Amino acid sequence: MIKFGKGNLRVPQWSRRVFMVAGGCTPFRKYFPEYKLEELVMMGYKMMLEDNDLKLSPKEIKDSIQYAAYGEFADHFQDQLLCEAKIHDYLGLDPLWNTGIKTGGATGGAAMLNGCMAIASGYADCALVSGWERMDEVDTRAGNFYIATAACKDFETRMGRIYSSYYAPMANRFAEAYNLSEVTRAKVAVKNRGYAMSNPNAQQPGHHTVEEVLESRMSAYPLRFLECCAMTAGSASALLCNEEMAYKLSDHPVEIFMAGGTHTLRVADRRHMEIPLLPNEEPGQYDELLKESGRWPGFESFLAARFAAYLAYRMAGVHDPLEEMDLVELHDAFTISDIQTYGDIGLRPYGQEPDYIESGDAYFEGKCPSNLSGGLLGTMHAVGATGVWQACEVFWQLQDRYDYIHGDKKWWDRAGKEKPADWKSLQVKDPKQGLWISHAGVGSHVTCGILRKAW
Amino acid sequence: MTKAYEGPLTTKYIGTPNDLFDQSDDFWVINWPRTFTHHHTYGLLTPFFKGLTEGKLMATKCTNPECTENSTWLPPRADCPDCYARTEWVQVPSEGKIYAYTMLDYAGIGIEMETPYWQIDVQIDGVDTIFKGWLKQGKPVTGMPVKAEFRTENPTHTILDICWVPK
Repeated sequence: MIKFGKGNLRVPQWSRRVFMVAGGCTPFRKYFPEYKLEELVMMGYKMMLEDNDLKLSPKEIKDSIQYAAYGEFADHFQDQLLCEAKIHDYLGLDPLWNTGIKTGGATGGAAMLNGCMAIASGYADCALVSGWERMDEVDTRAGNFYIATAACKDFETRMGRIYSSYYAPMANRFAEAYNLSEVTRAKVAVKNRGYAMSNPNAQQPGHHTVEEVLESRMSAYPLRFLECCAMTAGSASALLCNEEMAYKLSDHPVEIFMAGGTHTLRVADRRHMEIPLLPNEEPGQYDELLKESGRWPGFESFLAARFAAYLAYRMAGVHDPLEEMDLVELHDAFTISDIQTYGDIGLRPYGQEPDYIESGDAYFEGKCPSNLSGGLLGTMHAVGATGVWQACEVFWQLQDRYDYIHGDKKWWDRAGKEKPADWKSLQVKDPKQGLWISHAGVGSHVTCGILRKAW
Repeated sequence: MTKAYEGPLTTKYIGTPNDLFDQSDDFWVINWPRTFTHHHTYGLLTPFFKGLTEGKLMATKCTNPECTENSTWLPPRADCPDCYARTEWVQVPSEGKIYAYTMLDYAGIGIEMETPYWQIDVQIDGVDTIFKGWLKQGKPVTGMPVKAEFRTENPTHTILDICWVPK
C-alpha cells in the first residue's frame, strides 16, 4: 500500500492573503463563428472590468495589472501554438509577464491557482487570470479524438477515442460498489441542465426528465449523451489582488484559499493506497469499506480530488464542508464524475455519495446546492475557461449578484436569446463561502478552491 | 560560402485554394485541411509491443531490494516511480478477471474497431495495476475470468494487438 511522505502532506500557506474582486465571461456556444478567439477573450475580460462594481475605471485597472495567468487546454483545438502571446498582446498587456497553464480539464482551476501564487508571493498585487477554448474548428468526433489524446496514447487512446469511455467503467464499478442507480445519475443531469435555464450564457439548458436522460443516445455504457458535458467555444476572466489592492478596487472582495492534487493519467496505474482523511473523518472510518472494495481509490474515487480538498480545507480552516459551504460548483463533465467527487471532498463519506442528491442537499434551497450555474452539463465546458468561470459563478453568488449577472436583459441580449418568461432566480440567501472543483483527465489534476466573503 | 540569390524573381502560388465552410455578411469560416504522419517511438517499452506480436504479455517489475513497493507494472514502465531504479521485464499470465467494463457505442474519429464493442479492465494475479483492453466476444460481468488473445499475424504494432475472450 502506498503511504505518503510526511513532507508531502504539508499544508500550503499563502505568504500574504489573496482576494478575487471581479469576474467575466462570454456566452458559451457549440459554434461561435462571429468572433475570433482573441475577440471572445476580450469580451469576457471587458465584462470583468466593466460589470463588477469596481471603484477604478477599466483603464485604471488595466494600468494596475502586473501579471497574467492564461488557461488553454489544447493547442490542437486552437490550432495555434503560443496563443498566450496573441491574447496578451490583444489585451494590450505587454510587456507584463504571463504564464500559459495546461492541466487538462483542470486548466482553468490551475490558472486560478497560478494567479493566486503570483499574488501570495508578492510577484503581483493585481493579476489577471483568463481561460479560453474554441472547440468548434473541428467536428464533434474529431474533437472527441483530440480530447482522448489526453488519455495515454500508447495504452488507452486507441480504445474508444472518446473520453466518456474512460469514465464509463468507473460508473459501472461505482454502481456495483456503492449501490448507485441510473436514476440518481440522471437526476444530476436533470438538475444541472435545469439550472442552466436561468443562465443566459448556457449552451445546452433544458428542462429534462429522468426518463429523457436515460432514453438519450448511449455514448459509452452506461453514460448517455445527456450525461455528458458540452464541447464549447468561449472564455472567462477573473481579477485577483492582494489585500490593499482588493479594497481599493472593491467594497466586496472575496478571499481565496486554494490547493491542488494529482494522480496518474492512466486509471490502470492506480495502486492501493492510504486514504488521506478530511478534518471531519476518523482513522479507521473506512476499514469496512476497504474490506469489500479491496483497494482505494480503485475506480470509485479520485485521489487528486481528495488530496486537493485535504489541503484546501486545512488551509482555510474548514472542518465540515457540507455544513460550512453555502454552495459548491463541481466539475460535472459526466454525471458519474460529479457523484464520485461528493465523497472525495466530503459532502458525504465514501460509499454514501448518492445520498447527497437523494437527500435534496444538492438542490437550490437545499443544505449545500451544487452547480446552480448549470455546470458543465448545462452551461459550458470551454475547457481552459471552465475553472475560471466556475470561480466567477461562486464569486457572483457571494456578492449577491446572481440576479444581475443571470437575470439582466443585457446579458440575454448579448447572448442573442430571449429571457424565458419563467426565469427563476437561483441566488443563495446570504451566502458566506463556497467552493469550486476543477478536474482533469480521469482524475489526473484537481484543484479545490474556497471563496469566502471578506467584507 | 553560399551566396544568396540576389536577382529578380517571379513567384507563383502553388497551394490548393481554401473553400468556405460557412459564411454570412459578417464572417467567413474557411476549411483548412491537412494530412501528415507522426513517427512515434515506443522507446524502452518496445519489448512489450514486440511481446504482443509473439503471443506474450510482458510487464515490468521493480526488483530493487531497497524499494518499499517492488510493484509490477502493466502497462509497463522502465523506471520505478517509488525508488527510481530501472525495472526488469517479467512475463505475466495472459489471463485475469474483469474489474470494470463499458460498452463503447459512440466513438471518436478514426476508431479502428467496429462499434459497439465491450471495453474491459482486467485484474491480473501478481500485477499491481489494472490493464485496459477489449473483449472480442461475449458479455462482461465484474469478476468474470478472461484470457488473452494476441494478433500475431499481420500485427497492428499497437495496443490493439491484444484482446480478451471469456475463459
